[in-house]
Amino acid sequence: MDGFSYYNLFETKGIEYIIIIAFLLLIIPFWTMINRPLRLTGKIRKAFNTLTASILRVPQGVFFSDKHTWTHLEKSGNARVGIDDLLLHLTGDVNVSLDVEPGTVVSKGEVISVIDHGGKKLNVVSPISGEVTGINHGLNYELLHEDPYGRGWLLSIKPTDWKSETSSYHIASDATGWLGKELDRFRDFLAVSAGKYIHGSPAVYMQDGGELVDHPLSSMPEEVWSDFEKEFLK
Amino acid sequence: MSNTDYTLTGKAPSLSTWQFLKEELKPKGKWLTPFNVISLPIMLTGLILIVIRFWKGIGSITNLTQEVPWGLWIGFDVVTGVAFAGGAYVITFMVYILNMKQYHSIVRVTVLNGFLAYVFYAGALLLDLGRPWNVINPIIGNSFGTSSVLFLVAWHFLLYMIAELIEFSPAVAEWLGAKRARKILSGMTLGAVIFGITLSTLHQSGLGALFLMAKDKIHPLWYSEFIPIMFFVSSIFAGLSMVIFEGSISHKVFSDQISEKNHKAHNRILHGLSKICAVALFAYFTLNVLVFVHEKRWGLLNSPLGYWYLTEMLGFVLLPMVLFFISYRKQNILLIRIASLVTMIGIIINRLNVTVIGFKWDAAQHYYPSWMEITVTLAVIFTEIWIFRWIITRMPVLRDSPAWAKEQS
Amino acid sequence: MSIDRRDFFKVLGVTGVTLATGKRLGAEPAPDMDSREEFYGMLYDSTRCVGCQGCEFACAEAHALPAPDFEDLPVVGTERKADETRRTVINVYNTSKGEMYVKRQCMHCNDPACAAACLTKAMYKTTDGSVIWRGDKCMGCRYCMVSCPFDVPKFEYFSANPKIEKCDMCYERVREGKTPACAEGCPTEAIVFGSRRELLSEARKRIHDNPGTYHDYIYGEHEAGGTGYLYLSAVPFEELDFKTTLQKSSYPALTKGFLYAVPSIFVLWPALLLGLQQATKNNNHNEEEDHE
Repeated sequence: MDGFSYYNLFETKGIEYIIIIAFLLLIIPFWTMINRPLRLTGKIRKAFNTLTASILRVPQGVFFSDKHTWTHLEKSGNARVGIDDLLLHLTGDVNVSLDVEPGTVVSKGEVISVIDHGGKKLNVVSPISGEVTGINHGLNYELLHEDPYGRGWLLSIKPTDWKSETSSYHIASDATGWLGKELDRFRDFLAVSAGKYIHGSPAVYMQDGGELVDHPLSSMPEEVWSDFEKEFLK
Repeated sequence: MSNTDYTLTGKAPSLSTWQFLKEELKPKGKWLTPFNVISLPIMLTGLILIVIRFWKGIGSITNLTQEVPWGLWIGFDVVTGVAFAGGAYVITFMVYILNMKQYHSIVRVTVLNGFLAYVFYAGALLLDLGRPWNVINPIIGNSFGTSSVLFLVAWHFLLYMIAELIEFSPAVAEWLGAKRARKILSGMTLGAVIFGITLSTLHQSGLGALFLMAKDKIHPLWYSEFIPIMFFVSSIFAGLSMVIFEGSISHKVFSDQISEKNHKAHNRILHGLSKICAVALFAYFTLNVLVFVHEKRWGLLNSPLGYWYLTEMLGFVLLPMVLFFISYRKQNILLIRIASLVTMIGIIINRLNVTVIGFKWDAAQHYYPSWMEITVTLAVIFTEIWIFRWIITRMPVLRDSPAWAKEQS
Repeated sequence: MSIDRRDFFKVLGVTGVTLATGKRLGAEPAPDMDSREEFYGMLYDSTRCVGCQGCEFACAEAHALPAPDFEDLPVVGTERKADETRRTVINVYNTSKGEMYVKRQCMHCNDPACAAACLTKAMYKTTDGSVIWRGDKCMGCRYCMVSCPFDVPKFEYFSANPKIEKCDMCYERVREGKTPACAEGCPTEAIVFGSRRELLSEARKRIHDNPGTYHDYIYGEHEAGGTGYLYLSAVPFEELDFKTTLQKSSYPALTKGFLYAVPSIFVLWPALLLGLQQATKNNNHNEEEDHE
């Protein structure tokens, strides 16, 4: 201020107050929107790279067997069969082969498919007994992982003993809880199995804080895979 | 006497809103209580004095001079009254921001007190204005004096009253049985609380900032550039002390309203508040020491006002801090009440020192309030208490909310 | 308006050249007069004042105020103060150089505390330099009175529609091209009206040209950040009851820190409070259990 002409010390105060009012009005929608419940898409899930029960897809109307295959009875009388989301997350990206022809009769526990990750294989067994009425010719690697309960189905079987075979299987909220427990059980399994075959820190398959990395088995040696099939999936 | 059964689950369907309000306006309880007998004549005299004030000018009932333009009404009613109303923002901060749910039972009555305090002290301020009808000028935009701290304070008062009203309105909705309104208003509570705390910070300190330009006119023992911060910090324990004081009275006078659970909770609340006051007073005292050293006030102590300053600091800041400390440790409710009383006197002294006693302390004509100013002040306070009493006995403030309201939240 | 002023200056500038000391200064127009208005000011020279109160009479007449009371002459030992009926007063003091007269009124500060204080801009610093009171906006809060370091604004305490009285440097008259009433009514030209810049140099010139006559200080040059009214005196200003301990910077600058913190707090507090609320959301259950 030179002391000889007009100078307003507080020239911008009016504008400042207007900015404040705008801020206070904007913070309400800002806060509301940022707090909307999160909906993780597949890509974000991969970005997080942790495997927790909350990211598993669990359709509530489908029966889950202890071997992590699912089966769903349709109105036509045929039951679709496939691999559940948890198993796919554990193994990572796998190729799938279908080893039965339509018309074959399979029984519960018989191998119907093999999934393969870079040479490491895992047998997939049928959750129900019956005649194979159809196989999913369109099945490929993408469909299996994107939509394992829908277009990624493996076989359709006409069941011979649906009720008793599925009576011990998990469905609806019981299935959701069970999958969570299976994840915990897997964590323990992995600690033991990996400890047998891998020397060094568990950082390879565990995040800080003991969280599982997604696709933990993909980096595991063959021995862990066979342990998995024999001991975890019994 | 049961209280949750008191039929306020909504007005009876047969009554229209007007009839309901008319019913509610009728007095409940006796007419000739000691409080009424004392307060009514003062309120009537105050009314007459106010008429004279508008007819013959402010000078006809006050002792204000050209050198001391602000006296009891501003120094006490507005500045001190607002400091005491600070309990509202502190308690809502504790309950809604820090989620300290054990203080929930006193939120409503504190917010009500805060709201009434601001309404009445803003009203008292209108009496002090030379041309009160022009008070809308800074509101509607007949020149916004944005360089003025008073502009800020005035706007904040207005906005804060609105925020307090929103915070309190669920109680009104419960009284009127307006269920949907209550739901909407409850949803706005957090926003109103955050807005209210922000506003309070700024206008509590703003009241102090009003005097920053009077650098050469306020006695150096009380003037510093830190006045705004001092006012803000002291408003914390001023408000809480008022909560303790007013709560103790309400619990005796309106004890039939308060549920058994809340009676028991009350002592626990007082106990918790005393700890907060002790800490806040300690911080405030230290701030004062800092400012004292910074402003190099040593030489000023050896004078009458210097002794008065020491009295304020040691007798009314340090002493209540110690009393709160001891009463917290010993869990002595009576001592908590005494400490809060001493604190409140200390706040009155401090605010008056800055705004009136220390202001133009060397003026040729010393200012002291006339009996008429005191009467009007008392009349305003009593009117506020009357309204407070009216609301407490009708709306679910001290007593529990009706069942439908509890289900809603 | 600017054209009028320019012509006016030219006319009086010529007059000022012929008269050794003129009521108006400005032999030549100041450099930036056309492009940017500079403040006017007034220079009061106490050594020339004879205490005739001509300024008081002129001021009262120009503003429809009561004329000074003949019983109320400036007397040593009595302090005459401005009030709601008079905007300027003459006082007399016994000083080290004998009896001296002083005229007091609004100082028309460069950065007036009253104008910064006024929440309706009723107190207003015009680009002219005069600080005026605009009654249509005033609500009578008297905050200007609290803030003024010179205690200038006077309030009509006994009126139902009170106004603030203070010198306004005859704003209306100046706009019409005249000089303020007091300057015109002064027979000894103790009061001079002109641009502040020129008045300051004139004041310095007088001190320089008349060593021993003047106390070497121009009151108002820096006080409160500079005032429009400048004072010259034969004796130190304390002897004339001037406040000499005022700060040499603007008073509104004292509130700048607070006023500029306000927007920051408006932004930070809600963000902080929201954060705190989120962080403590799950405390409820623990707290209640502890205390049960």
